[in-house]
Amino acid sequence: MNNLRNKVQLIGNLGADPEIVTFENGNKLAKVNLATNETYTNAKGEKVDNTHWHRLTAWGKTAEILEAYVKKGEQIAIEGKLITREYETKEGGKKYTTEVHVQEILMLGGGAKNGSKVETKK
Amino acid sequence: MNNLQNAVNLIGRTGIDPVIRTFENGVKLAKFSIATNETIIEANGKSQKTQWHQIVAWGKKAEMIEKFVKKGQLLAVDGKLINRIFKDASGNNKKITEIQVNEILLINPKKAS
Repeated sequence: MNNLRNKVQLIGNLGADPEIVTFENGNKLAKVNLATNETYTNAKGEKVDNTHWHRLTAWGKTAEILEAYVKKGEQIAIEGKLITREYETKEGGKKYTTEVHVQEILMLGGGAKNGSKVETKK
Repeated sequence: MNNLQNAVNLIGRTGIDPVIRTFENGVKLAKFSIATNETIIEANGKSQKTQWHQIVAWGKKAEMIEKFVKKGQLLAVDGKLINRIFKDASGNNKKITEIQVNEILLINPKKAS
């Protein structure tokens, strides 16, 4: 029910190896940037390539999958939701950042794990 | 092809009357925020969480939004995620995440439109 109201689907390539944070209680957080590409024809009829970068976050089992199976440059499809949160900068100022909280991952690129789907809804 | 790679679907209410900008060449840009709600069931009952999203729409969609969309309107939006950097009034670089509208649907459950 909640997913109808706030849903994101992205297919793209990882900009770096996922960054993993393990908390004292054993819970994991994975952070990684994903690049999505689009190609379109502009008014002059020229082909234009555009890349958009998205910040992904994943918790628990989903984070463990990212840590174990996905590396920089690999292609994945994800479904998740948009979360905007406030955080404090080193200087003590407040900033907002919008992240995609990943609920489901489908690995698309690289070896034996092609097309392996992992459903870990959170 | 492009929509598969970057797709956002939101259902929520506008937080403000849309702000409309008209450029020299006549093209319109509509900007507004919408709130999506999430009901979470916890051990001690339900709680509601709200997320705010920045929406932008161009051209014909902006014209439709200008005519029909007001604060508090329930909408369904189909769009894509754009993260961009802009310079604020003080000249600082600021990052913003926006959802650019591909398709928009006004939802008016009790009105006969």
